[in-house]
Amino acid sequence: MNNSRGLKGAFFSGAMVGVPIVLGYLPIAFSFGVAATRAGLSVVEAVSLSLLIYSGAAQFVAIALIAAGAPFLVAFLTLVGMSLRHVLYGPSLMRAAGQRAHFGAVWGFGLTDEVFGAALAALARGQVFSDRFMLALAGSAYAAWVGGTYLGAMAGAAALQDWPMVDATLGFMLTALFLALLLSILRAAQMTIIVVSVGVVAVVGAFVSPVAGLLTGMIAGAIVGTVRDAG
Amino acid sequence: MRVEIVLLALGVGACIWALRVLPLRLDMRDVPAGSRWARFFAATGVAAIASLFAAGVIPSLQDAPFATVLGCLSVMGIYAVSGSTVTATIIGSLIYGIAFSYF
Repeated sequence: MNNSRGLKGAFFSGAMVGVPIVLGYLPIAFSFGVAATRAGLSVVEAVSLSLLIYSGAAQFVAIALIAAGAPFLVAFLTLVGMSLRHVLYGPSLMRAAGQRAHFGAVWGFGLTDEVFGAALAALARGQVFSDRFMLALAGSAYAAWVGGTYLGAMAGAAALQDWPMVDATLGFMLTALFLALLLSILRAAQMTIIVVSVGVVAVVGAFVSPVAGLLTGMIAGAIVGTVRDAG
Repeated sequence: MRVEIVLLALGVGACIWALRVLPLRLDMRDVPAGSRWARFFAATGVAAIASLFAAGVIPSLQDAPFATVLGCLSVMGIYAVSGSTVTATIIGSLIYGIAFSYF
């Protein structure tokens, strides 16, 4: 009985932690669905990209590559290269969890930037790690992403143009979420990591590319944290 | 439905699955506390969230500086009062949306 209540509690906690991600994913996925159909993809093709790739930035680039008629290998390598940062998330999350994931193969595909950040912040606030917690968190975000894509592809272009305030509010949701997550795990000792990461993202993002800025910002911040803590 | 699009999605999706799932199989309990790898993975979380925030806020600051600053200050203020990331995210975004529309 208590175990059953605990399992339900973990599932509920995961779903609650996922609420801002769901609210943030719906409009972005909706926009993706609209952009995909505008670029000539069918509803099934647009939803397939969200179901199988499940990576916002990579999917928007995929549309551009498909529309431009890029060779298969070029498109493939570009899209995989954009997602390399995800390799860092699993070890970092499991280090914070302090235990092994038994069903990581089930929920691990849902370990996006936002799910990783939300899970890490929840663990820092005392949430006990469990596969059910992760399944609810990652599953709700995945459902929102695929559902939003379907709705956007069905609605077509200009669906939110009559609602600029809603469009702006939903468009800012993920930035606000990352700020709130940062505040929830913030300690004074981590300010150097944050300053370095933000600085590298700004400089590399401006002079190379936003994706390169993101990856180098993460790695630079992690290296600074590693070296500084050793001193 | 074009087969090449589905094949591209399948191939990229399989690689992303591997990038996200396979590292979960590493037993991080074996990494000694205070070791170089332990420090690296501990710092990765903060660095990743800070980088993702920067990647979102920098273009937003260029598009709508007043609304962005007000939205960020609202998130910080509401988080300080409520201690809830959900409340801070939703209300902060709403204030951004209002500022974006009217100022």
